[in-house]
Amino acid sequence: MISENEAKILGLLSSKKVLKASEISEYLGIPLSSVFSLANLLKEKGYVSIKEEENKLLELTDEGKLRLKNGLPEDVLISKLNGSSVKISEAKEILGKDFNIALSWAKRKNLVQISNDMIIPKYTSYTSPEFEYLRKVSLGEKIDTVITKELERRGLVREIRSKDMEISLIKDVDVRQSITFLTPELIASGDWKNYTLKEYNVAAFPPFIQLGKLHFFREFLERVKDAMVSLGFEEVRGNFVEMEFYNFDMLFQAQDHPAREIHDSFQVEGKGKLPKDELVKNVREVHEKWWRYEWNQDISKRLVLRSQTTAVTARQLTIRRGETKVFTIGKVFRPDAIDATHLIEFHQLDGLIIEKDFSFVDLLSILKEIFFRIGIKEVKFKPGYFPFTEPSVEIYGYINGLGWVEMAGSGLLRPEVTEPAGVNMPAGAWGLGLDRLAMLMMSVNDIRNLYSDDIEYLRERRIDLW
Amino acid sequence: MVTIVVKESKILEKVKLTEKELEEVLFNLKSETEKIGEDELSIEINADRLDMLSSDGISRAVKGFLGVELGEPNYQVIDTDYKLVVEKVSQRPYALAAVVYDVNLDDDFIKELIQFQEKLHDTIGRKRKKVAIGIHDLGKIREKEIHYRLASLNESFVPLNQRVLMEISDVLTHTDQGKLYANISLFNGTVPAIAEASGDILSLPPIINSDRTKIDNNTSKLFIDVTGTNFDAVAETLDIIVSNLAEGGSKIGRVNVVSDYSNFSPIMRHNRLEFNSMDINRRLGFSLTSEDIVHYLRKSRMEAEAIVDKVAVIVPQYRVDIMTYTDVAEDVGMMYGYQKISLKKPGLSEMGKLNPMTKLERNFRELVIGAGFQEIFSLVLIRGSLLQGNYVSIVNSISEEYNAVRNSLIWTSLKFLEKNQFARFPIKIFEVGEVVVRDESTDTGYRNENRSSLAIMDSKVKYEDLQSVLHQVIKGLTGKYPIYSPITMEFLIGGRASRLLLNNQCLGIIGEVHPNTLVKYGIKYPVVIAEIYLEKITEVM
Repeated sequence: MISENEAKILGLLSSKKVLKASEISEYLGIPLSSVFSLANLLKEKGYVSIKEEENKLLELTDEGKLRLKNGLPEDVLISKLNGSSVKISEAKEILGKDFNIALSWAKRKNLVQISNDMIIPKYTSYTSPEFEYLRKVSLGEKIDTVITKELERRGLVREIRSKDMEISLIKDVDVRQSITFLTPELIASGDWKNYTLKEYNVAAFPPFIQLGKLHFFREFLERVKDAMVSLGFEEVRGNFVEMEFYNFDMLFQAQDHPAREIHDSFQVEGKGKLPKDELVKNVREVHEKWWRYEWNQDISKRLVLRSQTTAVTARQLTIRRGETKVFTIGKVFRPDAIDATHLIEFHQLDGLIIEKDFSFVDLLSILKEIFFRIGIKEVKFKPGYFPFTEPSVEIYGYINGLGWVEMAGSGLLRPEVTEPAGVNMPAGAWGLGLDRLAMLMMSVNDIRNLYSDDIEYLRERRIDLW
Repeated sequence: MVTIVVKESKILEKVKLTEKELEEVLFNLKSETEKIGEDELSIEINADRLDMLSSDGISRAVKGFLGVELGEPNYQVIDTDYKLVVEKVSQRPYALAAVVYDVNLDDDFIKELIQFQEKLHDTIGRKRKKVAIGIHDLGKIREKEIHYRLASLNESFVPLNQRVLMEISDVLTHTDQGKLYANISLFNGTVPAIAEASGDILSLPPIINSDRTKIDNNTSKLFIDVTGTNFDAVAETLDIIVSNLAEGGSKIGRVNVVSDYSNFSPIMRHNRLEFNSMDINRRLGFSLTSEDIVHYLRKSRMEAEAIVDKVAVIVPQYRVDIMTYTDVAEDVGMMYGYQKISLKKPGLSEMGKLNPMTKLERNFRELVIGAGFQEIFSLVLIRGSLLQGNYVSIVNSISEEYNAVRNSLIWTSLKFLEKNQFARFPIKIFEVGEVVVRDESTDTGYRNENRSSLAIMDSKVKYEDLQSVLHQVIKGLTGKYPIYSPITMEFLIGGRASRLLLNNQCLGIIGEVHPNTLVKYGIKYPVVIAEIYLEKITEVM
């Protein structure tokens, strides 16, 4: 891997072959010290060879720079005197702090004579040869070593040593610059050819993103709906708050039946409005005739959270005329202790077929088919009891590793249920708890997980194949 | 379902089957069997089969199913000189009685007899409200004339399993039974009593018997009284008890009754039903001859007779569940065997159809999934104090946690977010579901509404993050973009909340959740939330 700056250096060398580090620094605007380390990296990678160099150079000291600008002190003294003799004290005032240096060098070079406190110049102007050397040093020109020594002694110049490298390209390389992002501009202009795309660590794990994901249990319910539709059923819906009339009375459940006791359904404040007189009268009649008690209209007006989706079926009976195939999937509510297999709300599938000449055999046949399409390939039938059906049947399904499991209740609706509603054809009905079926079919061992409030459970859950 | 426990060895001896075989037969007679102890079976009986609440009744049914015995057994009923005089007892007007001879009581039988009595109390007896049964050792009853009368609270007797004489008022207030049943017996300062003519109380139905006539290992004959508020239920209960005892080998003794409704008991009431064989076949989808039907009914321990294309059935006194021909049809089907019924191949049927709301929901969910939201599915019941506005509260809730029905998905979503503050961010969730709202125009005053909530929780969120999603979802569903009109709502931040409008319909609301509400729910991160009213979307589609 070649870094961007390494690539720049190799790019430069590809035309010049040999360059000094200082030159590279100047061309590329990279600090010299960085060029040194980059060159060493390139050497390690086998692209260049390096010849280290050390140069000696003279440079002006700060004083040297000052003298080059203003002249040497003894030259300044001669120039200030301009041929006239002055008292030492006066000259001292004129030259300030440089006076002692100026006077001593002027005396040494025999430019002045001292007599009775007077300085008597021998020239009106003078330029010392050192001045010319200072100029040369400042321009980087070479000067005689004796003179160098002299200037060093006067503290006007000093010798410095500088490091440099001679860098030679020894291996040709793809010197295109590497970049991270391919941009539309690079693609459009074709410039992408001048770059290489940086390599990634493709084995590293990516950051987390959340996928949009359907809820597994809702999807199960949707698949059951599809199965019912494929068998010719129309989906209907009902409300959670229901009158006891539809939840119980229409289903031939006597008002003093143990299943209607307060702890078996959730009560809601308020009273409902009963439907048209005819239906209420008919329901009252069958209750009083067969269950032999006084039917109470007020009890049937009480509100509950429906305890069975059969309440939806009961309402369908009152509005359907002619042959009918409907189903509903929805929540029902029953007081219970909450644990891994019980919740106080769960889903039921209720179905209703009203058909001329519909028989118990027809009912069992359609039940087998429904279970087959849901995914339960083997069923067996057990006689059962529900107040609103006769004959009644319980359906057991076979689950691998578990055996026979009770799954649904069904039967032909009693004439005592259909006739008060004005339905004069045979009718089959069934109710099926979907939560436990889903648990069995999707290997969920706690019913509460069907309604999990842990988003990670939902994110991590593997999809179910249907 | 009613569950009884019977002695395994005893019932297997009666039916001459192995445990496995009995289980199989009972499955076909509506019952499930489970071995629960060394020599104990638990059997689930369906609520309609009161005749099967004791092992003798089970044995009668099993023998019929197996074809070992057919038709109605001939139980001997002999006359006795016992008399039951029924006085006016307005709170529980009906009483009947029977005597039973040749009863061989041992500990197991006593246990089962008491269980039988209690199961009848719970079912047909409606927890003794409708019917109560008293079983006495006839040998300990001194007089032949027994009265059903009112007793005043200062009369006294020794109640069952007590050693001392107690006044009735004390029995009502100080015994467990008294406390449980006083409210269905006490009326105008009197309670019903079964007593000897000279006055000694034998029992206070439905509360408790006397200790004097208690049955034990030496009891060989019984006096059984049945009292209650409904004559038919009283008569049926007595018929069932004596029939099962007779099935076990006892003799039934008829008691003379002085009452408005009967001169004797047990009544042993039989019902005759006549129907076309065709009706049974139509109901079941069978094609049986009248003779076949008669055969199956006799297996069901009823007497029946074929009259050309008709069948007449005499329903015996122990099958009180048989009301009409549909009940008869079930017995025919059951004796034929549900397992043997050959099913039809399903015919071709046209496709049915999904509810329009289901279709909308599916499309809605698909679009929101496309925006990367996790679907959640929460419970409908919630703690009422978490809700705002009108909502349905449950009168008899079993837990504070679930004492109300959600009236908006906003609250269930916030509750979900609270639980997921340590999950990987960002949290983007949505739910499609039903809520219940008040609606005076419906017959219950309430109505379900279909809604969807969407929410984003992150260390930084803004209105626009969710608005941009909804903008495209609404466009995708309706073909049009909604407009947004600012709203003020307590739980949303002012100036960061709006209503989504399309064709003057309000499709929902969206906004950043107010810090007060976040704190109330225990949420430590900002949240932007929306609720969409799906019915409204169908109106603008």
